[in-house]
Amino acid sequence: MSADMKKEMSAAAKRRRLNHLLLHAGLFLFAAACVYPLLRIFSVSLRPGDKLVSMDLSLIPAGATFVSYAKLLGDTMFLRWLWNSLLITLATSFIGVSLASTAAYAFSRFRFPGKKVGMILLLSSQMIPAGMLILPLFLMIMKLKLMNTYLGMIIAYSVSSLPFSIWILKGYYDTIPRSLEEAALVDGTSQVGAFWRIILPLSTPALSIAFLFNFTTAWNEYLVARVVLFSSQQYTWTLGLFELQGQYITQWGMFAAGSMLVTIPVLCVFLYSSKWLISGLTLGSVKG
Amino acid sequence: MATVQFKGIVKKFGDNLVLNGVDVDIKDHEFVVIVGPSGCGKTTLLRMLAGLEEITDGEILIDNLLVNELHPSKREIAMVFQDYALYPHMTVEENMNFALRLRKMDKAEIASRVAEASNVLQLNKFLKRMPKQLSGGQRQRVAIGRAIVRKPKVFLFDEPLSNLDAKLREEMRVEIAKLYQRLNATIIYVTHDQVEAMTLAGRIVIMNHGIVQQVGSPIEVYRKPCNLFVAGFIGSPTMNFMTGKLALEGEALFFKNEDIKLSIPPYLLSDAKKHDGREVVLGVRPDDVLVERDGEKCSDKVQGVLEVCELLGHRENLYLKVGGMRVLATVEAFFNRSPGSAVTLCFNYKNMHVFDKATESRISE
Amino acid sequence: MDILKSIYEVVWFILLVAAGVAALEGYFYTHFKFYARAWFFPAVLGVFPALALAVFGGLLGGYTFKLWLYFLLAEAAIAAFFRYAVKGRHTVPYLLLAPAFVGLALLLVYPFVFEVYLSFHDLKLTTIMMWKNTGTLPFVGIDQYVKVFTTSPLSEVTFWALLGRTLLWTFSNVFFHVAGGFILALMLNNQIRFKGFYRTLLVIPWAMPQVVAVLAMRGEFHSTNGFVNILIGKLLAVFPFLAALGVAPVQWLTDYPLLTCTLINIWLGIPFMMVVILGGLQSISSSYYDAADIDGASYFQKLRFITMPLVRPVMMPAVTLGTVWTFNNINVIYLVTGQAGGTEQADILVSALYKAAFTYNRYSYSAAFAIVVFAMLFFFSVFYLKSFDAAKDER
Repeated sequence: MSADMKKEMSAAAKRRRLNHLLLHAGLFLFAAACVYPLLRIFSVSLRPGDKLVSMDLSLIPAGATFVSYAKLLGDTMFLRWLWNSLLITLATSFIGVSLASTAAYAFSRFRFPGKKVGMILLLSSQMIPAGMLILPLFLMIMKLKLMNTYLGMIIAYSVSSLPFSIWILKGYYDTIPRSLEEAALVDGTSQVGAFWRIILPLSTPALSIAFLFNFTTAWNEYLVARVVLFSSQQYTWTLGLFELQGQYITQWGMFAAGSMLVTIPVLCVFLYSSKWLISGLTLGSVKG
Repeated sequence: MATVQFKGIVKKFGDNLVLNGVDVDIKDHEFVVIVGPSGCGKTTLLRMLAGLEEITDGEILIDNLLVNELHPSKREIAMVFQDYALYPHMTVEENMNFALRLRKMDKAEIASRVAEASNVLQLNKFLKRMPKQLSGGQRQRVAIGRAIVRKPKVFLFDEPLSNLDAKLREEMRVEIAKLYQRLNATIIYVTHDQVEAMTLAGRIVIMNHGIVQQVGSPIEVYRKPCNLFVAGFIGSPTMNFMTGKLALEGEALFFKNEDIKLSIPPYLLSDAKKHDGREVVLGVRPDDVLVERDGEKCSDKVQGVLEVCELLGHRENLYLKVGGMRVLATVEAFFNRSPGSAVTLCFNYKNMHVFDKATESRISE
Repeated sequence: MDILKSIYEVVWFILLVAAGVAALEGYFYTHFKFYARAWFFPAVLGVFPALALAVFGGLLGGYTFKLWLYFLLAEAAIAAFFRYAVKGRHTVPYLLLAPAFVGLALLLVYPFVFEVYLSFHDLKLTTIMMWKNTGTLPFVGIDQYVKVFTTSPLSEVTFWALLGRTLLWTFSNVFFHVAGGFILALMLNNQIRFKGFYRTLLVIPWAMPQVVAVLAMRGEFHSTNGFVNILIGKLLAVFPFLAALGVAPVQWLTDYPLLTCTLINIWLGIPFMMVVILGGLQSISSSYYDAADIDGASYFQKLRFITMPLVRPVMMPAVTLGTVWTFNNINVIYLVTGQAGGTEQADILVSALYKAAFTYNRYSYSAAFAIVVFAMLFFFSVFYLKSFDAAKDER
């Protein structure tokens, strides 16, 4: 190898190193911007009571304590709110995913009159403005005498993520070769049996995405909750935190502590499933 | 084991006629290969037999039992799919015994059947693996194993070797042939590869455009193709076709076109007078084009020019030009001539085929 | 005890739903099976309704007769549908779809239709008691729709101002979501160390519960205690010349509420786009880039002629959805501005709609408003997806 070439090679290597350095710097900045607010909440939640409102920017504040957490768990019904949210959310996700999984199968594998109309209906349901359906739902729940109950909330939530879930699941089912079900049919299952024994087990990733989507939607919802629930006993955590923050002296410490407690589990689940999430979302959107 | 009958099978997808009246009788213990170009309806026919495709018209009988409306699982068939269709979430063993478990068969019986099949197919080592961890050939064997354990009346193979590379395909072909000898079952095998058809079949069903073109043993369809399509489809390299006219000169019949004139012996076309002036296509397999050789039953000599030589090892393909026509000859290696040189060739009368140009069907004996 | 009771309540409800689904499937199944029998038509119109009357008669009091009538009508329609349209075919897909679509019909279509009904009537605080007592409302025709375009949904801002603001909001958000997502995805699509780690951190805004994220960010935009202004103050201390360029701490929440909301929403929305685009980038075969390298393409040429066109099909549906979601995004604006009853400067169509209904109690007006918004979105999407389909066909 000649000296010139060596020189050129090392220049290229240098350029690449520089590029990587720039990349790391850029990514680090963006990542910091993404994480920083979360860290700020954490730091606020650790502040002692008298310094809640301050211009301090350090992550671990001076005199860090867990007083806010203790107060939140002791003085408010925060655990109760979490429990309420969890029950409502699990029930709606369960119902939503069950309904979506079968409906998506029909859309993915069969040709029947009304298929196209059905798909368009699903898509156009995404155009319904938030808040538009709250009033009729509210009136309906009132008539069913389900105000301030779990059931009212579950009913109101259960189909809200259904169209999107069907969409995602259909996209995933479309990628499973048909011959698998045909093999199962020849092996002796019914059409529904093939769905149950072959398609469902194979769709675990998509099902978990749909579940996650249902879960986060219901978990984070508060517009409906605000009109349906009125006793703090029945509040979901969104309403509870809202109340903490909305009082005339914002309970910043307790608010921050509560935020940390609801964020961390969701964050863990989300990050754990993010690999599936990517494939599921792109699949769902490409196949349409 | 069982017989299978197709009676006047018609299949339409919307306005698209895929199968147009297929009649085939398949005997007990027979290995039948359905072969044809893609889109000829062969796979559709197989899927209809399996119960995966609705039957527009006609009847399918297995063991003289009408199965048109029967659920696939009740037809006592087993199918090997083109993409194997192994359940990705089950181990090899679970894949193989899935059908038996569905039937709530006795556990000991299931175990013995799986053991037997995996012995035959040398799958013992892989029983606990997932399909993902297997090579193409192994997956193929699992798919076959899944069919064997069922002990079905009829085995269906849907282009089972098309996803394998050439070498593996040859190996599996031999395996399947051995398997047939061992099982002695009724097998219906669909492929687009005429080599597979020729080597495996007891009988070949050749299809095109949703119609059965010819049914017969491999030797029959090779020696006596009943129309132009079959003649061109079976045999490799492809048969040479020459279009021209038959003309009577005295008592003798001649084939004539712009480039050549050949006498047609009476044992090819007996009633010479009847054929006078008929437009025909003359078919000669490359093996029957004799270059620079004299044969007893050889036709009149023809002059040609050598264009390209392809050495295959023991054989050699010669691309010749006779006037405006191209003729392919396959001869013993080594044909020591350089491209561009003139050669003399003749055709082996015994294996010449004459087809009517309009109807495309065979008119020679 | 409370906990046990709540579990019991929810499980009971799920079982009820399951029973409902089973009943529905059985109901449809009988229709599929017996639609052609001579006795079936009279039976479903005679026996089923009678059964329904017997079973539910006592439960619903005054509504019973009306419900029963609806039931009879529905039954006749369904039976006719099976007899003349379906004829027992397509059993499996319809049975699979039935529960989801009945759910959607009850909880999505019916409320929607009810909104349409409301939009032609007049339901507000003064008429709500009348509606409760008599079940009827004054019919006002298209008055509400006229009002949508002529009067303010809140106290001063007009429909047209809201529309302009919404378009600005949607466009700027989606633009920055896509641009930011694209840049981040491109950066992540390199062979670098800590890739997984960066990706994990970068999706955090999406993963955080929106209520928490927005409320926390709102705190950070506070004029004295939020880190945004603190940061600006520190920057000014280090680089005094910035002050000459007009950089100064501002009253974000009161002076620039829409800008604040936009910044927060951009922060929230970039990860979704990043994830979708990254998926698209990773699906591009590297052989295209190898071929372009051999052809001598520069980095930006590769970006322009390979990456962009190949990511487009993945991105377009996501962008459509993102546009609709941003257009309909009420969370950020409501949480940042809505609670104190304060400013209208940041309201977009949907937040004005929500406030008109629940702060000002103008129910019918907001219904008409909602339908106008829905129609706009619907036509936008249809047009957009059509043009996208046409582009796809060309290739």
